[in-house]
Amino acid sequence: MLLKSTRNEFIKIAAKPRSYLGLVAVTILVGVILFALKADGMSFISFVTASFEQTLSFEGNILNGNLVAFIVLQMLVIHIPLLVALVTGDLVSGEAAMGTIRMLATKPISRTQLLLSKFLAGGVYTLLIVVWLGLMAVVVGKLLFGSGDLMVLNSDGLVILQEADINWRYIGGFAVAFLAMLTVSSLSITLSCFSENSIGPIVTTMAIITLFIIIGTLDVSIFDSIRPFLFTTHMAAWRSFFEDPLPKDDIIRSVVILLAHNVVLVLVALYTFNKKDITS
Amino acid sequence: MSDKMIEVRNLAKSFGSFEAVKDVSFTVNRGDVFGFLGPNGAGKSTTIRCILSLIAPDKGEIFLFGKSMAGHRAEILKKVGSIIEKPDFYKYLSAERNLEIFARISGVHSSKKEIRAMLDFVGLAGRERDKVSGFSHGMKQRLGIAQTLLHNPDLIILDEPTTGLDPQGIIDIRNLILRLQSEQNKTVLLSSHQLSEIEIIANRMVIINQGRSVIEGEVAQLLNAEELIVNIEVDQPDKALSAITLNFPDVRVHEVDGSRIQIITDKSRIPELTVTLTNQHIGIYAIESKRKLEDYFIKIVSN
Amino acid sequence: MRILLLKIMLICAMPLNMLAQDASPAIDGLLAKMNSVQDYSVQALITSDIPMVKILPSNATIYFKQKDKFKIDSKGIAILPKQGFTDIAKMLEDKESYTAMMMGTETIGSTKADIVSIFPISDTSDLVLAKLWIDTARDVVMKSQITTRSSGTVSIVYSYGNQVKWGLPDKMIFTVDVKKFKIPKGVATDINKTRTPDPNKPASKTGEVKIELSNYKVNLGIKDQVFSKK
Repeated sequence: MLLKSTRNEFIKIAAKPRSYLGLVAVTILVGVILFALKADGMSFISFVTASFEQTLSFEGNILNGNLVAFIVLQMLVIHIPLLVALVTGDLVSGEAAMGTIRMLATKPISRTQLLLSKFLAGGVYTLLIVVWLGLMAVVVGKLLFGSGDLMVLNSDGLVILQEADINWRYIGGFAVAFLAMLTVSSLSITLSCFSENSIGPIVTTMAIITLFIIIGTLDVSIFDSIRPFLFTTHMAAWRSFFEDPLPKDDIIRSVVILLAHNVVLVLVALYTFNKKDITS
Repeated sequence: MSDKMIEVRNLAKSFGSFEAVKDVSFTVNRGDVFGFLGPNGAGKSTTIRCILSLIAPDKGEIFLFGKSMAGHRAEILKKVGSIIEKPDFYKYLSAERNLEIFARISGVHSSKKEIRAMLDFVGLAGRERDKVSGFSHGMKQRLGIAQTLLHNPDLIILDEPTTGLDPQGIIDIRNLILRLQSEQNKTVLLSSHQLSEIEIIANRMVIINQGRSVIEGEVAQLLNAEELIVNIEVDQPDKALSAITLNFPDVRVHEVDGSRIQIITDKSRIPELTVTLTNQHIGIYAIESKRKLEDYFIKIVSN
Repeated sequence: MRILLLKIMLICAMPLNMLAQDASPAIDGLLAKMNSVQDYSVQALITSDIPMVKILPSNATIYFKQKDKFKIDSKGIAILPKQGFTDIAKMLEDKESYTAMMMGTETIGSTKADIVSIFPISDTSDLVLAKLWIDTARDVVMKSQITTRSSGTVSIVYSYGNQVKWGLPDKMIFTVDVKKFKIPKGVATDINKTRTPDPNKPASKTGEVKIELSNYKVNLGIKDQVFSKK
């Protein structure tokens, strides 16, 4: 029954125009960034390498598809959560607003299965967005700019990763990025269980993300103890795959914290949804 | 197999400080068309939602098919079809797609052919591919009925199914319910404000008021138990009126309309009244006595 | 002005017999050897040890054609010092722009090298001072130390093998100034980074780039298109 309900959720997501908004937005945003880099990407790189170029010269195809994909990912890290929440935040509250939740809840499917099917469908939609972003950034980027070594600027300096050593990093990076976006999806679905209108959970999700990012970036000691446990702190964990040596402990810690967030959010949602009186 | 399809015992539910249902009890037997009546705010919808596990009651017990929802929910709901208030659908999906979605989680596999046959049955033939956003209220009601029947349930719960329908639509729903009961032995719990409809099709009913059950029983018995409205059609209405007024001072004359005199009296007085009119050589064309549900209902809830 | 004063001080500090030694023969010999190479291509293995830069050894092909055509072809990203390949030849060719003086000798390994200091004549020249350790027996540079306003000081140590007859090294070790390296804020977007640099670790002031050269192809002819291709 869980799989049947999940299939229903896919049908509903695919039929809603807003589901395509995310894909179109990613296409346009990435397209704009690629166009800008194609037009004047070297200026951007020069800005980054300016202080090194007094003594050193960088040879080779620096502005290649791998670097372009990296730049795209960095720029879009704040935008993708909104595109995900736009769809997943509506999965429960949208049904309540429409009245269909009471039709569903009187069927011989448990509320747990009903809600889990929404989490599954939301997760698949999130995966689709992340994969589409990857295809646009990496594949289209490489088609336009060619391939080559990747030059990454971290707070402790430049790291140049060899071309043959990059693909697995992107795969790992995208996997962690997906886990981060899945947390956003889980958060918005959980908030959706508390609301009977579509817009509330979406706005609240973005507000929480913004607040947590602010807490994370404020250099104030009072937040030091909570900062490592905020999921937004780990939303950029995908970048760890582009460090040398690979900070395995950091990556594992981020994965565990993100997974824990997902588990807690799902449990809270299940408890709320099962106890909820459906009066709409 | 239990003959008691629905058993509600001492149901109570509050929303904050508001007691929506205080003490409701009734039983629906197999094959009943059961009228569930009450004024607005009496607790009908809350009771129905408790039966269907949309709301968790604070007190009381509910059994469907002799079983409690706890532990048997899926098994029970496979045999129940329902419309609660107005039927809501996915506006951005077609009628066919909507039915497909609900059928899939109702535990049945309904082919496109079966779905189209059902749409045809409820009068929506040719509209299967149309989006529900373009449907009128009446069409959505019909689609709601289709959704209710698609998985061939034994128990059907209908909350105000004729609301918003035109007279023909009301007749169609009435006939459908009667057919479901007589031909397929389905049990129907019907909540409606159309008292005339309940009077025609329900065999048993319960009336609730202010969250409590007031009276439950066979419709015919309840209506005939007390004073009746009697319509007498005579050839000499003035003479008949004088005879009634003179000989039966306890009988109330309600209305005189041409040759028809409507009186309110106890059932036991009718034979005597008939003899009196005959003895006075007043020709009686027809005597019809019944208790109107509407009057009964108003009397019950106002007490 | 400062350069002039420096020259005067150095001249005053030199022993009299040194003043008598002209650096021209050493430079002429060096130039003659450099000019004997019309063109070459060579495979380079570049290994960098530069603070704030992490890069694995990379391969490149270096092309040169007289007078000053130079290109590095790298499949991946290679980091090379800005100076050191053709700068010495360019610098020495323009004899009107500098004064060369013999500053003594030094033994590097088992080779005796003459130390020649190059002083630019113009006060506005990018070159501040160049020092060359020249093996006059083979007319090759063993070591160089070039200070410019733009790049600071770059020191290069040369090793020679089979191609010594052309004056082409098989190994060059560059030591570069790195104190001007900075990370532009706002571009390094590792947000919420919890790691900070170790404050007790002393910041290195120099970095090293080692280039191993092999498979030289000298004076075989290289088309000009090679230098114009992207």
